[in-house]
Amino acid sequence: MKVKPYWILGLIGILAVMIVPVIVLWPKAAPASNDPWAGIPQHPVHVDHKDIVAGKFKNVTDPLTVTGQDITTACLECHPQAASDLMMTSHWTWESQPFEIPWRNGETATIGKLNQINNFCISAQGNQKSCTACHVGYNWQEGGQAENLKDPKNVDCLMCHAQSGYSKGKYGNPADGLNLVAAAQTVAAPTRATCGKCHFDGGGGNGVKHGDLDESLIYPSENLDVHMGRNNFLCTDCHVTTDHQVKGRIVADNITVNPAEQVSCTQCHSEDLHSDQRISLHVKSVACQTCHIPAMALEDPTKVNWDWSTSGQDIGDDHYTYLKIKGSFVYEKNVQPTYKWFNGNLSYRYLLGDPIDPTQPTYIDQPAGDINDANAKIFPFKLHVAKQPYDTGFNYLLAPITAGPEGYWTNFDWNNAFKLAEERMGLKYSGSYGFTETYMYWPTTHMVQPKENALQCDACHGENGRMDWKALGYPGDPIQWGGRFDKK
Amino acid sequence: MKTILLTLTGRKNPLWIGLALLTAALLALGVSHAFASQAATPAQTASPLHPTFALLDAEGKNVLESSQPVSTMQTCGQCHDAAYIESHSFHADLGLGNYQPAASFNASNGIFGKWDPLLYRYLSQPGDDRLDLSTAEWLMKFGERVPGGGPATTSRTGAPLTQLSGDPSNPETALLNPATGQPEAWDWSKSGVMEMDCFLCHLTQPNNSARVIEIQSGRFGLANTATLLGTGLVEKTAGTFTWNPAAFEADGKLKPEYVFIQDPTNNNCAACHGEVHSNSKDPLTISACDLTYPQTATTGQVIAAQKISVSGVNLSAKDTLDRSWDIHAERELKCTDCHYALNNPTHAQEAAGTSPTHLLYDPRKLEIGEYLQMPDHNLARGQSAQFTVSPENKGTMRRCESCHDAAQSHGNWLPYSAQHMAVVACESCHIPKMYAPAIQTYDWTVVKLDGSPANLCRGINGGSTTTSLVTGFQPVLMQRTNIDGQTLLAPYNLVTSFYWVYDGNNGPRPVRETDLKAAYLVEDQYAPEILAAFDADHNGQLDETELRTDTIEKQSAVATRLEALGLKNPHIEGQIQPYSINHNVARGEYATSACQTCHSSTSRVTQPMQLAAYAPAGVTPQFVSDSNVNVTGEIVSAANGSLLYQPVTTQDGVYVFGRDRVSWVDWLGALAFIGALLGVAGHGTLRYLAALKRPQPAVKLEKIYMYESYERFWHWLQTFSIVFLLFTGLIIHRPEMFGAFSFRYMVTIHNALAAILVINALLSLFWHVTTGEIHQYIPNFLKPAGIVDDMVVQVKFYLGGIFKGDVHPFEKRPEKKLNPLQQITYFGLLNVLLPLQILLGTLMWGAQQWPQVANFFGGLPFLAPFHSLVAWLLGAFIIGHVYLTTTGATPLEAMRGMITGWEEVETHE
Repeated sequence: MKVKPYWILGLIGILAVMIVPVIVLWPKAAPASNDPWAGIPQHPVHVDHKDIVAGKFKNVTDPLTVTGQDITTACLECHPQAASDLMMTSHWTWESQPFEIPWRNGETATIGKLNQINNFCISAQGNQKSCTACHVGYNWQEGGQAENLKDPKNVDCLMCHAQSGYSKGKYGNPADGLNLVAAAQTVAAPTRATCGKCHFDGGGGNGVKHGDLDESLIYPSENLDVHMGRNNFLCTDCHVTTDHQVKGRIVADNITVNPAEQVSCTQCHSEDLHSDQRISLHVKSVACQTCHIPAMALEDPTKVNWDWSTSGQDIGDDHYTYLKIKGSFVYEKNVQPTYKWFNGNLSYRYLLGDPIDPTQPTYIDQPAGDINDANAKIFPFKLHVAKQPYDTGFNYLLAPITAGPEGYWTNFDWNNAFKLAEERMGLKYSGSYGFTETYMYWPTTHMVQPKENALQCDACHGENGRMDWKALGYPGDPIQWGGRFDKK
Repeated sequence: MKTILLTLTGRKNPLWIGLALLTAALLALGVSHAFASQAATPAQTASPLHPTFALLDAEGKNVLESSQPVSTMQTCGQCHDAAYIESHSFHADLGLGNYQPAASFNASNGIFGKWDPLLYRYLSQPGDDRLDLSTAEWLMKFGERVPGGGPATTSRTGAPLTQLSGDPSNPETALLNPATGQPEAWDWSKSGVMEMDCFLCHLTQPNNSARVIEIQSGRFGLANTATLLGTGLVEKTAGTFTWNPAAFEADGKLKPEYVFIQDPTNNNCAACHGEVHSNSKDPLTISACDLTYPQTATTGQVIAAQKISVSGVNLSAKDTLDRSWDIHAERELKCTDCHYALNNPTHAQEAAGTSPTHLLYDPRKLEIGEYLQMPDHNLARGQSAQFTVSPENKGTMRRCESCHDAAQSHGNWLPYSAQHMAVVACESCHIPKMYAPAIQTYDWTVVKLDGSPANLCRGINGGSTTTSLVTGFQPVLMQRTNIDGQTLLAPYNLVTSFYWVYDGNNGPRPVRETDLKAAYLVEDQYAPEILAAFDADHNGQLDETELRTDTIEKQSAVATRLEALGLKNPHIEGQIQPYSINHNVARGEYATSACQTCHSSTSRVTQPMQLAAYAPAGVTPQFVSDSNVNVTGEIVSAANGSLLYQPVTTQDGVYVFGRDRVSWVDWLGALAFIGALLGVAGHGTLRYLAALKRPQPAVKLEKIYMYESYERFWHWLQTFSIVFLLFTGLIIHRPEMFGAFSFRYMVTIHNALAAILVINALLSLFWHVTTGEIHQYIPNFLKPAGIVDDMVVQVKFYLGGIFKGDVHPFEKRPEKKLNPLQQITYFGLLNVLLPLQILLGTLMWGAQQWPQVANFFGGLPFLAPFHSLVAWLLGAFIIGHVYLTTTGATPLEAMRGMITGWEEVETHE
């Protein structure tokens, strides 16, 4: 029997007649959200630099004589753009792009460790000998650093790339006695540990500055952070880095942040991914972080209060409560964030010389946004409260010189520390000082929890809710009074 | 101000009251703000809205002057119509309103007069020869859950209790003296009565335990005052209550910061009803089957927003239970959001059928002031609970569908969603499992040494929810008839109780606890006769398996001892009370949504529920008659002696595809199908063997264009449709045999293919009629004898000639494709079997749109098995049909004809 193959066309036609209606009538699956698993990073094995580096330094007889600059020079042979790229970043410049300052009649200013203060160690200016352990460069010169910042050889490649055998000493230089060639042989892409060296220990110790970043994230458990713990994310998986320009800006050192330069959950997750419409209705007013970071400092405690006024006493040092050089602290674990409207920018950043009202808390930074700002969402912050020195004559915050043989940490003489600051930084000191309360807000965006641990309705709504609705601008709990976009 | 307020009340001017309320609220706000920073303020926060008021005693005098207990009716009655409130509250009435002495146990529909075999104690009716609970002792015993008013102030005849004179023979004015076993007179004017305790529900933190102390001591008149202990208003020292002058203003009113009046919270309701956990930060723990929390004990319902996975209950696979105990609690609904005061203008809705049909909304609501003055305290209630009090208010509550548009949320994924909703209550899928234990059995036919009955809890292996393993349980699905007549499958817990009954002078009565203990125990040890009958291992102790009335001998031993106490005809009865489960609702993602949960042989719908681990010998417990549950299932005894309730869906007119089937239909159909297979196999084998033996006959063949393209198209489309319909139908019929296929998708495919088949059949009918080809299918009925003769010829050929290599008796030609046998077969097939199957299928498909039509034809229980039977027959036909195509010139020639259109056929000279 011979059948010409055109029967296949008939078969296809008949099957099409059957299949098309079935497809049309097919039950619709739950709306597919975009696939966050597509964002699960692959971590390729980094090119082993052991032999490459050894080759560069094969004529060296004593590796201990090799300097950081020598290493950088060697790196630049193969990565010629690396230094010049890095030197355009704030990791190098320690200051932001210039902003027009609204409360100073449009005067422009930059913000960064280079020139401004916070309410932790207060000021890096004049204290660079130690503070520059977190500057990505060598050979910082007090006062004359501008020239050194122009030299590509001063870029410290090892700080971020050496996986072992490296640490920083004074003025950004390598610690003494290190075999830098051996350290350079371990270079690879930065890890949580290399980024964390500065970002986990910011403010002078583990978990001091950020409530959501501390050393527990080097080897995070599953329930500490769903990205880093469960899925082994590295910092750079979200903080995507191109030509050494790391995505993601800390708002405390900026006033406005270009959203294109910021890291967001929606890089991988769709905004309408919740199958529960009730939750989806929150997304316009509540940041992802608010529900998915119920608490910070889950394993290591974070500093929430720092009172400089009690420093200088010999009452016994304890890392978590009192140090003679720094004063009294309060560390807390499992800290519930403070919630404020936040549109990604600051409405205010204290700049040196800004007048204060010493009877009121001074805000070092103020997240921008309120209930009427459609771009603002309720966002979790760590609030760090400090008592820090101010000039009772000029009514502005002071920036003491703490490091060095003449600094406060050696002599415990505030007056001298402020006079030194006047000499070195030009911040005039009237001769009398006091202590005033300051508030600083730090956005909380790490230690993200999987949905099982996310906040539930009653965490915010109802009689036991954690939100201060009136302070946020609502007439009352929006579960009863309606949300800001409802016509109730 | 008191007089002003009274005047206001008298004038019933809502504007004045509103203004007064507003002013007072502003004042209270201001003052509470002023006091906010003071350290000495009481622990509770003062009411932000309620104005201050004076506390009055029963005489209407300020308690500060009279030092008397507070009277809620006088105090709250200053502004609110307290008499209206009490008379409109089933919480106050508790069955007093319809108390009617009866021969049966139950003299009313509420806990005052209706016997509860779990609590066991019985409120004696007037004239009963043995006094179990007098009114006073009933109050002492159950007063913890009695909010006052009703039977706590009023006698069964309507007179105030305080007007009755003590009479030991009247259960209203007596109290059993446990020492003598004789009733003694009870003086209500001395004990005082319990007015409806407004504070119990309207105070942030009412002191119920202090109240209970007064009640249990018989100091009923002090109960409401005791509720205020801890608020700073009153102190109790050495048994005397002293009002705190510091809490009062100079004018005798409370200082605003001592006004704690508020709307009832979940915690207020929880005090009597069940486990409520409103603080999500602390892990929830539950005491298993503890009747102090009756709702939780009898159903496992827990009102908590907390995720089950973070609660303190030692649940198996707890980590995976990433859902709250109750989605409505999680979403911040309060008890009173659904169980609201019936005239609350915020929530009130007209009862169905009470407004003209053209009116969607009646704006003539109560003003808020009028409502506050006379709030109806009959709270909206559902219609499924075991409570029978206040039947006139059944179904006043908003149900799931009042708030949720289920059609919208189910229509896009649940096939036949309307059909499901018409048969299954929302709770059946949205309460897939209970995670707290619940009572299974209370066996009061025996008593343990501590006087408690033998009871059994389901959903837990042990007694503690924190140290024993809690497994939870699946409620049993039973048919519930709602007041609108709709019958739905809904989840229940079944609580079975066994107890002794004797013939009293007024009718059968439960054996008193005191008599039961006397029968079993002598000086707190088992009586020798009891030990002799029960103690199988003779170790002098009765363990759990021995302490059972599971043999006639044991029963007679107890009965003899009961008779010795003067009880006539002591015998055991058993009762099954279905407890409706409506709380602990889960959101969609945790609800039952897999089709095969119900649509399979292990269907959830007919999953049995254990009633008891054993039953007293010869006693079958009976379902209570006053629930709206239709007991269509069976009570069966398992081999291990346990009793089970086995639902039987077919008795409810429900046909669950994939589970229900009529076995004779399947047997008959399978026989027809296998018979066809065997027939063609035998015939084919014989043909093959015969063909081997003889040479190929030289038959003259001719190639003819037999089938036009459209004929081939409709034939093959029908072929594929029918084959896939049979296949998908089989999966729907026996889903567990085809686990790889999704039930839901098979249903969709089946429906789509059925539509294609029907359209294809109609189009081809149109083609056959318009082209006249239809005549080929119609036998010449004008010559019936000729039909038969031709058929006989054809049959003879198939039975004989075909084996000998004879030519076909009839030529196959485009204008006459069918032989006489085919003609008559297709005539039957196309006129009877196929239309019948289409009709049955359409009726089944239409059962949700036009249930009346389907029901007219017998409903799914008839249509579905019939559809299966016809499907079997169609399958059998296909076997024969395909086989007969091989009888052409060559075995595959007919097939080729249907594919290409060209077929070689015999030509008869």
